Amino acid sequence: MSDASQQQLVAAAQAGSVDAFTDLVRAFRVRLLRFLLTRCNSYADAEDALQDTLIAAYRYLHSYDSRWRFSTWLYRIAIRNAHKNRCENVVDIGDLGDEESDPLQQCIAASETQNLWISARRVLNDEVFAATWLRYAEDMSINDIAMALDRSQSWTKVNLLRARQALDTEMNRQPNGEKVYG
Amino acid sequence: MDKLATQLKADAAEIDVEVSDELDYRIRASLNSVSQEPARPAAVRRRPAIFWFASSLTGIAAAAAIITILNVRTGDDMTPQATPDATPVAMSTSPIIELKTESAMLTAPLQQELEHLQSDIRKAEKKVREDIGL
Repeated sequence: MSDASQQQLVAAAQAGSVDAFTDLVRAFRVRLLRFLLTRCNSYADAEDALQDTLIAAYRYLHSYDSRWRFSTWLYRIAIRNAHKNRCENVVDIGDLGDEESDPLQQCIAASETQNLWISARRVLNDEVFAATWLRYAEDMSINDIAMALDRSQSWTKVNLLRARQALDTEMNRQPNGEKVYG
Repeated sequence: MDKLATQLKADAAEIDVEVSDELDYRIRASLNSVSQEPARPAAVRRRPAIFWFASSLTGIAAAAAIITILNVRTGDDMTPQATPDATPVAMSTSPIIELKTESAMLTAPLQQELEHLQSDIRKAEKKVREDIGL
């Protein structure tokens, strides 16, 4: 979707058109759900968080500043919702070690290789995980990530570098002489 | 793109999710049921007239009270305030050095005596310098 058509949809949605808003967020729904799934305790929670995110975005669309990329603004709301969801559901994501209870494990069960995001969730804290996701899964710029997380660019750069080092170590770890990832 | 970035992107794409029809319906129904928050204009709060009247009255009362208190205190307190001790601080705190002085025995003309005294001072100064190792 081009920036011009996106701005037109934003304007129409701000005027109260639910259809325009639905078209606007259609491209982001699966990506948001994928991200929220890594942060929530169950698939249902991730769906609820997506619903809350889109409703909040629609309600407060008048506060959207067109200097931001729309996806950055949407992710900012999603990150807050995911955090709220985690706070309300006291189950620690670290406790979801077994495949049966971990929604992320269930969604990648079809893959034959280990998924690096599971390790990322284990070795990175929430904010750094989110920054890493936005950088590598969403190809966001440092500036956009800093805005989405409400952090400085320096913080973002430093923590992305540390995350890279941690994930590099994880990726190259070879238990039993076999390569784990990829 | 390096190996780690490629791997992370590929692994993110491996997470298999989809927005079900049911979720789509739920979201759409929720969007139809909520209304947008109106844009908030810069809030300029107008205070009621009674607020300004009460504020003015309070200010006048406070000013009158201060003036009254100052006048009453000026009338009562006519005793002069104690003046501080005039002794300089340096004199009161530094130790008194006893100077050993003796009168000069003038046995030569004044100019010659002066030269002798200056010579004595130079010698004494040299000796002190040697003693302290300069």
